[in-house]
Amino acid sequence: MKIAVLGVGTTKFGELWEFSPRALVKEAVSQALADAKLDLAEIEALYVGNMLSGILGGQENLGALFAEELGLRCPAFKIEGACASGGLAVHSAILGILAGIYKTVLVVGIEKMTDHKPEQVSAALMGAGYEEERMAGITFPGLYAILARVYMEKYGITQKDLAAVSVKNHYHATLNPKAQFQFAVSAEQVLASPIIADPLRLLDCSPVSDGAAAIVLSSKFKTKGKTPVYITASAVATDSLSLGGRKDLTSLLATVRAAKKAYQIAGISPKNIDVAEVHDCFSIAEILACEDLGFFSRGKAAKEIAAGKTTLNKGKLVVNPSGGLKACGHPVGATGVKQIGEIVIQLRGEAGARQVKGAKVGLAHNVGGSGSVAVVHILKNE
Amino acid sequence: MSNITPVKIWRHQKKYAPFLGKEGKIISWTLIKAPPVGYEEEAPYPVVLVELQDKKRIIGQLVDWTKKDLKTGKKVKIVYRRVGKVDLEGVIHYGIKFRPV
Repeated sequence: MKIAVLGVGTTKFGELWEFSPRALVKEAVSQALADAKLDLAEIEALYVGNMLSGILGGQENLGALFAEELGLRCPAFKIEGACASGGLAVHSAILGILAGIYKTVLVVGIEKMTDHKPEQVSAALMGAGYEEERMAGITFPGLYAILARVYMEKYGITQKDLAAVSVKNHYHATLNPKAQFQFAVSAEQVLASPIIADPLRLLDCSPVSDGAAAIVLSSKFKTKGKTPVYITASAVATDSLSLGGRKDLTSLLATVRAAKKAYQIAGISPKNIDVAEVHDCFSIAEILACEDLGFFSRGKAAKEIAAGKTTLNKGKLVVNPSGGLKACGHPVGATGVKQIGEIVIQLRGEAGARQVKGAKVGLAHNVGGSGSVAVVHILKNE
Repeated sequence: MSNITPVKIWRHQKKYAPFLGKEGKIISWTLIKAPPVGYEEEAPYPVVLVELQDKKRIIGQLVDWTKKDLKTGKKVKIVYRRVGKVDLEGVIHYGIKFRPV
């Protein structure tokens, strides 16, 4: 398969109290259309990735809402799959193109989280979990803490090893003007931050964020004046909603399955990847992702990350040059779309200070729930 | 924001009975310090992932605990306890939790 990414746009991520969801979407979309040098009239369908607009904002029917806001009267859809909503919206848009129904479509991911109290956000995010888990009063940091402890005990990993992920991603975010946290943190600062859900600390966790990201996809390959970037694989897999339903707690099987399929469709292997945006909602999640995506062997990822193997200008493969969910921010519905946008910028060679030199093949990995759904996209610049 | 309604509670009650008194061991645990709505008064509280003797795995809160109970391999038993806060309609929700053996 080959789908062209004609344009990308993203708002700044962070506590954007002065902007409404409508304003954020408009900003991301106008950037993406300008980048693609396209008129709105050329958009044939709109796909919106979002998770929490109903439970937090009391607003559903986002397809029609944002179509109206943008001045579109085309088919429009909200796609929801927890924190993978953005990635699933991209996948759905690709299906519309591959089916031959649409030639050029717009995908936008949006989340507005910081208008609400942390306890409300925690409870709303648990909508992605299993009823028994909600009843136990567990949170998403708690679910990943359960995974982290199993992994740490199996492979003899410490909290300091986990901290290396946050240290790297915060460093990358210092080079990204759109990132929520454009400052570095040390391992000592991570280890001194308060515990959220033992063994995970505040600086192991991605933040609550506002933001939107947009991309224009097309079966027409005319990219006006830009290095063309293509999506060459899009794969989705699911697994049990609850951690109780998993046999192996040191791997997310949905990621393994989606990645296997994506590599097969693209005809490449993990060693071909130059740059990846992976779903680091928590430090442990990036470690699991790097192993599940085949970048490192089982039990080795934490040490390899700490050794700089995925750091900009150090590693052959750079992971999360945007700063990842941890430091760029995690407006959940926007994340999966922003990841594609970052890979496109990298493969065009337009990433400035955070450019991965000579990057030709990129991967975006978006996870929903505690691994109940995973989306993997592979992109190339030829 | 209530996920639980009286009808849901009524529908779920009959599922709990077969689990009461079952034993298992902790395969992982966490201590929740930043709780969701409805659980603020209970924090910090431990949540454990338990493998029962029949290999079924369940997540639940650990009650009547001390620090030494928070370790993998610890034996626990299913008990029937109140869950969360009493809601606006005055319905008290009971469900499954774990107690150290």
